[in-house]
Amino acid sequence: MAENDIAIEVRNVTKSFKVYLDKGAQLKERLLFRKRSRYEERKVLRGISFDVKRGEAIGLIGHNGCGKSTTLKLLTRIMYPDEGTIKLKGRVSSLIELGAGFHPDMSGRENIYTNAAIFGLTKKEIDARIKDIVDFSELAEFIDNPVRTYSSGMYMRLAFSVAINVDADVLLIDEILAVGDANFQTKCFNKLKEIKAQGTTIVIVSHALGQIEQICDRAIWIHEGLIKAEGPPKEIDLEYLDYMSRKMQEKNKSESDAEEVSEEETGKRWGSGEVRIKKVRSFAADGSEQKTFRTGEDIRLSIDYIVKKPVKDAVFGFGVFDMNGIQCYGTNTRIDKQPDITISESGTAEILMKNVELLAGEYNIDIAIEQGEGIPIDYFRQAYRIQMISAMGDVGVSRIEHTWKLKR
Amino acid sequence: MSTIKELYAYRQMIFSLVKKDLRGRYKGSVLGFLWTFINPLFQLIVYTIVFSKILRNDIPRYYLYLFVALIPWIFFSSSITVGAASIISQKDLVKKIYFPRMVIPISYVTSCFVNMLLCFIVIFAVIIVTGAGINFVAVLTLPVIMIVEYIFALGMAMIASAVTVYFRDLEHILGIVAMAWMYLTPVVYSKKIVPDRYLPLFNLNPMTHIIDCYRTVLYEKQVPDLTALLWAAGLGVFFLVFGAFVFNKLQRHFAEEL
Repeated sequence: MAENDIAIEVRNVTKSFKVYLDKGAQLKERLLFRKRSRYEERKVLRGISFDVKRGEAIGLIGHNGCGKSTTLKLLTRIMYPDEGTIKLKGRVSSLIELGAGFHPDMSGRENIYTNAAIFGLTKKEIDARIKDIVDFSELAEFIDNPVRTYSSGMYMRLAFSVAINVDADVLLIDEILAVGDANFQTKCFNKLKEIKAQGTTIVIVSHALGQIEQICDRAIWIHEGLIKAEGPPKEIDLEYLDYMSRKMQEKNKSESDAEEVSEEETGKRWGSGEVRIKKVRSFAADGSEQKTFRTGEDIRLSIDYIVKKPVKDAVFGFGVFDMNGIQCYGTNTRIDKQPDITISESGTAEILMKNVELLAGEYNIDIAIEQGEGIPIDYFRQAYRIQMISAMGDVGVSRIEHTWKLKR
Repeated sequence: MSTIKELYAYRQMIFSLVKKDLRGRYKGSVLGFLWTFINPLFQLIVYTIVFSKILRNDIPRYYLYLFVALIPWIFFSSSITVGAASIISQKDLVKKIYFPRMVIPISYVTSCFVNMLLCFIVIFAVIIVTGAGINFVAVLTLPVIMIVEYIFALGMAMIASAVTVYFRDLEHILGIVAMAWMYLTPVVYSKKIVPDRYLPLFNLNPMTHIIDCYRTVLYEKQVPDLTALLWAAGLGVFFLVFGAFVFNKLQRHFAEEL
């Protein structure tokens, strides 16, 4: 790969912030309370290196405080790294703080000029773009009114229009598309795709993984100041979400220790107890254990149980509920006309769910072992939780497969 | 070198900041832009009364003698005192967006400079109305003197604005320094009355030469002493380079400190 194909080069970058416990910026305070101005040094980035090719779009993901926004700020050169180097080629535009430098008393048009000047455009260049900017913002009829008369949505639209029409070589974006109404968001999104197609290098920080999957060629997962994984967004997002939900569950678990007892007490679990569910796990189609799945994927649920007393005529069942408690699906071996089961020794039952079309969100799964006509042996409410993710924007509980037939 | 190139690319931002500053400064006040002239005029009146009527001196046309020095001085002192707070006052921009930070002191000093140029219209009006007379050849050197002063003021403003970010007291300290500096520069008095043993000290001060040059051109109607001007230019360039160096070092942590 040729050297000049690299648009952004980040090498071993570290950054720490001083967190002052009690800071005095004045001479008197500095002298009198010298001991007081102690600070803690918090290391936010611990050595990050990555390259971005020209025309590539990458997404930075990670939980809050992991250092992804700091990375973006270093890329914009608002801040500088403590160690390491960052090289950027070409003009950089950022959609980080939209409308920085807007003056409320000046008209929309004047603000376009000042704001674009902050991005390093000359008057001539702005003259050439002003029409595009105004058109894109859909504010033509208000453009000569002072910005203070704008609604916040109009304000953001104007700011976004300026930033995106700078024709930057590198575009840095923090939490995009929280701009304006749904229509305008779609428009922004399409514009971004267009810009990308023109060969602009894009770096996005976002929690909206779906957006990252749609635009980015690569995702970088930053965890506690280090790059934990990078690769195709679909894989990295899944890995990341899986990690997050696991962590969440660990946290929940440690919060409610001595589970076995309290489950019955809280009414989450009941039954005669001759057979008990020991552990529930879920696997993806490739056999890897995970808790996060993509809409439309296969999920294999395995249930380990222990037998205290053999049971005849047993029935296994499961139910899936969304976070509002609405049942999305439920069935059992009797409904499914499975042969009668006799449980005599501990083992594992498996449920193979094909093409699970549940939409993005978290789902609780109830697992039940019953006898005969519904006498509970071990009914375990919310025994397990899975998370579904989807890059598409469709809404509801479950996807309905469909095609469109439209007149051209 | 790359800094200069980048600043050139951001010239539109400098223009628009200067414009915003000039337009916004007196916004909402009844007399508006007239304050640009009223302020120095009142200072002129007060100083003239004090130094020619009360503390009497034998300088003819003292008001003009003072006026041609006071206006350039006001440019210099406002560049450093108010310029010191320039980065802090633009902290929203500095924290949120990238641009070469030097744009801020540059545009601030430039707007003070434009103010001075406007006041020079008044100076020339006074010269003409009072019939003091002009040496046109000497006036041709005026832009050079102004540029030298601009360079020096910019260098100082860069240091002042960058250090103030870390050490807020400086803004107030500079108010005192500027007052002392004015009295240690021959603005209200003549360099001739400075005792000989203090002269080397006075000569180290670039403002001594700069103010002297203005006075030579506009009051004495002569071409200024080139060595003095060169000395001032040398010091000015030195301070500009030094100021830019200090500024570049300090600006790396602006966003965190603000």
